[in-house]
Amino acid sequence: MNELKTITTLLVDLLDLENDRIGPQSYLVRDLGMESIDFLELAVSLNSAFQVPVADDVVFLRNLRLFIVQAEEAGEDIAACLQTHYPFLSGRRIAQMANDLAAGPVLQVRDLVAYVRFQTHANKAA
Amino acid sequence: MARRVVITSMGLVSNLGLRSEQVADSFRHDRTHFGQSTMADGIAVSPVPDFDIKAVTGRFKNLRYLNRGAALATAAACRTVKKAALTPEQLSATGLFVGNGPNLDLGDECPDIENGRMAADKLPALWLLRFLPNTAASAIAQLTGVHGDNLSVGTACSASLQAIGEAFRKIKDGYLDTALAGGGDSRLGAGGLLAYQKARALYDGPEEPAAASRPFDTRRSGFVPGEGGAFFLLESLPKAQQRGTRIWAEVVGYGAAMDGGTMTAPHPDGVWAEQAVRSALDEAGLPCEQIEAIAAHGTGTPLNDAMEAALIGRLFRHRPPVLALKSWIGHLASACGAVELALVLSGWRHGILPGIRNLVTPCNPNLNFLRETASGPQPQTLLLENFGFGGQNAALVIKPWNS
Repeated sequence: MNELKTITTLLVDLLDLENDRIGPQSYLVRDLGMESIDFLELAVSLNSAFQVPVADDVVFLRNLRLFIVQAEEAGEDIAACLQTHYPFLSGRRIAQMANDLAAGPVLQVRDLVAYVRFQTHANKAA
Repeated sequence: MARRVVITSMGLVSNLGLRSEQVADSFRHDRTHFGQSTMADGIAVSPVPDFDIKAVTGRFKNLRYLNRGAALATAAACRTVKKAALTPEQLSATGLFVGNGPNLDLGDECPDIENGRMAADKLPALWLLRFLPNTAASAIAQLTGVHGDNLSVGTACSASLQAIGEAFRKIKDGYLDTALAGGGDSRLGAGGLLAYQKARALYDGPEEPAAASRPFDTRRSGFVPGEGGAFFLLESLPKAQQRGTRIWAEVVGYGAAMDGGTMTAPHPDGVWAEQAVRSALDEAGLPCEQIEAIAAHGTGTPLNDAMEAALIGRLFRHRPPVLALKSWIGHLASACGAVELALVLSGWRHGILPGIRNLVTPCNPNLNFLRETASGPQPQTLLLENFGFGGQNAALVIKPWNS
């Protein structure tokens, strides 16, 4: 299954956008203008399209900044800590996010793809 | 001091046309869009073919939350604002008064209900927005930039006329300078048709769809459901003149009353309908004999038309012409008042008063039912009546603007 293609279609329908405005590196908030209500709808759509459990807080990185602050306070390694919370993201991607936080919400379309793939494998393994 | 209130912009979505000249043309050539429903056997309906809200709004993600009635309202409101040419500051101070009805499209909205349980995973996260009465208002505000005093009115078939009446009063009394008012509705889905079928309110006679909507005819047997939307910009006269904008008509009086009798049938003697009409005339400062035409509610149901004909005969002994616009577009439920007002204004602008279609044998011999579409001098005062389920009664008096 081409997860990227399916997710792009979901976002096009949901946000009433043109197809070519969405790529793997599109930011959901910064580029596509997603608001809280849209994330609620997206979670429902992802669950329905891929038949995988969708934990909003995890897939949409809602607590990302909180985890960073907590790791800092506890003197832990931030990247390792984020990796525990977000096992579907690669170490490289987590490093990129850490450097990009100042510019705004870091969630990109490819992160949704990674989440869906990770959950699909988990489904199969189970 | 009370201020004069005029209508300066109009946006219409109807199957007689989107613009006043198209509507006038439909009147001239007896062009309607009645047909058999594809949702229920043997039911005549009057749909708006090829309605595409995106042609009006462009891309807008929250269209996903609009039921068809809300979409028709939103399209009409956006067209009104576009034509009004108000500045962003003026829009921001503009009020919003929306008449709308319930979304009865349960089968389409929640296709998987078993033993009372809904299959949640197929519903949008915010599916409730498709049922909330102020979703249309919210979308209209987002799209047009109006932020003023507002009200969503849910008073059945008198709702949009009451929305216009409330907007009129807010401007007249100085709370607003400009207000957007109107409504949109559609009950042509399976749920809507089933609702009125079970209530025995729909036409079930032998005639073809084009002859099924027959207000005030002895062979009427129920209404023909239609759909559409209309909005108006109401404005205080000084503001309109200051802007130098074209004026369609003046609103001079409004009245509303409740039967408090039964849930659906009108009071047989129309006592409280009469009160609504009389308060509208009082506010207009006009005695009955100065009303030059009446756009009746005229649903084609046995009870409404009998009550309404008796009421008109009792109050208006000078026999002004009576119109029944539902013979052209069917019954638009909560949107009927707004769309019927738009049809009247369209006719006025082009010198046409539409006759009552399908009126073969009038149910009341004393009334001056307008049988043929007439061109020429137009009435200088007109009363609109709408009565609804629940015993809702509303009346509005308007005058054409002769500049």
